[in-house]
Amino acid sequence: MAERFNEVVLPHLGDALALARWLTGNAADAEDVVQDACIKAHAGMSGYAGGNSRAWLLTIVRNTAYTWMSRNRSRGMMAVGDLGDLDEMAAAHGTSVPDEESPEASLIAKADTAALEAAIAALPQPFRETLVLRDINGLSYRDIGTMLSVPIGTVMSRLARARGLLASELGRAP
Amino acid sequence: MTAHDDGLPNDPEGIRLMIHALVDGELDAAAALAVERRIAADPALAAEHARILALQGAVGRLPRPDVSDAFRARIAAIGTASAQRPQDEAPSALPGLIAGAAQQRRATDTRPSQARPSPRVRRFGSFDWRAMAASIVMTAVLASGATQWVMFNAASDGVAAEIAGDHRRSLLAASPIDIVSSDRHTVKPWLDARIGVSPPAPDLATDGFALIGGRVEVVSGRPVPALVYRHREHLITLVAEPQQGGRVTEPKDVSSGGFSMVHWSDGAFSYWAISDTERPELDDFVARFRKAAV
Repeated sequence: MAERFNEVVLPHLGDALALARWLTGNAADAEDVVQDACIKAHAGMSGYAGGNSRAWLLTIVRNTAYTWMSRNRSRGMMAVGDLGDLDEMAAAHGTSVPDEESPEASLIAKADTAALEAAIAALPQPFRETLVLRDINGLSYRDIGTMLSVPIGTVMSRLARARGLLASELGRAP
Repeated sequence: MTAHDDGLPNDPEGIRLMIHALVDGELDAAAALAVERRIAADPALAAEHARILALQGAVGRLPRPDVSDAFRARIAAIGTASAQRPQDEAPSALPGLIAGAAQQRRATDTRPSQARPSPRVRRFGSFDWRAMAASIVMTAVLASGATQWVMFNAASDGVAAEIAGDHRRSLLAASPIDIVSSDRHTVKPWLDARIGVSPPAPDLATDGFALIGGRVEVVSGRPVPALVYRHREHLITLVAEPQQGGRVTEPKDVSSGGFSMVHWSDGAFSYWAISDTERPELDDFVARFRKAAV
């Protein structure tokens, strides 16, 4: 059991901390969340039926992060709006941003770390979470869809919308 | 907009989503080819593609939180501590190290004479030092020893079996590769962005071994780059563990688990090539790869 825990959980601690850091907004809270999540993972180890262990652990981390935030933070900080509205918004606005707001790729590549981190932190939560799961944790669309209980099309439109928002934010004059 | 007959969506939104999917390695080879053609034919799509790539690269380069040794040890103790106390009350019981509060609450609930005997915990309060010591030793191995361990036991059964298992799993997965591309100038940066290292990735298509992509494997708890080549109907996974110390070894047969497997080192990387193809063909691949990678 301990061996299995070490094999399934320990390799993904970096990913777990990265996800928790982006969901909670800071590194200290991330350690608390990941530690809680690992306790749950250990208790639920018998429920792990093989497959993508990173996706399995990150699902627990995500759920733990939301439980943790609802317990430790005021309601105001948790306000994320209605998810349905956001997805409708994404669909209505589309993933495209008007041409004048689309910066050159070279400008995006040169964006400094602080600006990019601030832009990610400012994303609406469902978009931020999808972007982090894909571009920082490296999960597949399918894994993300399963984790968030949304269709793959929703994963794709949230991801495209998140990247569109980031690109236009980074394209603004500093 | 001209109508296309390539099975892709024709609305601007649809094709944009397909470009994201291409960048994310979510398309099969046929769809990837079709999207690449659209991009090549349309400067606006090419600019969007470049933007997405640049953005993904920038996000991938963001500093990641450190997993401190202390934190890793704390987490490892969750597994170790409970394994050492199998008679403890519930499978979900919190291990002593991190359950100070729970332990205290239990202690106040229960009169001392009724407390479950747990000498280690009693002697050190809520601190299970044996679990802690064990996990620190293990952490040290995970954190710093893995490279040496892999180097000195390069052909050991453990690593070979692990790589064979990874290869077998990749054949069962929806896609054996995380990044689909025949272009080494795409595969190498992708691996660099993920794990900061990428091996030589010559395309040996003219020799009958086409580079079709790459993925990240975990060997001995560390992420290592892997390239995927196709030879006729067979996939060849080439795992390349970065080496420090630069020993050079000749190819050696380490076939395992029903797969052909060859291991060698070139000083910079320690390679395992594995496939369900016949040994002579795998040897042929290894010879051509080594020639091209020099």
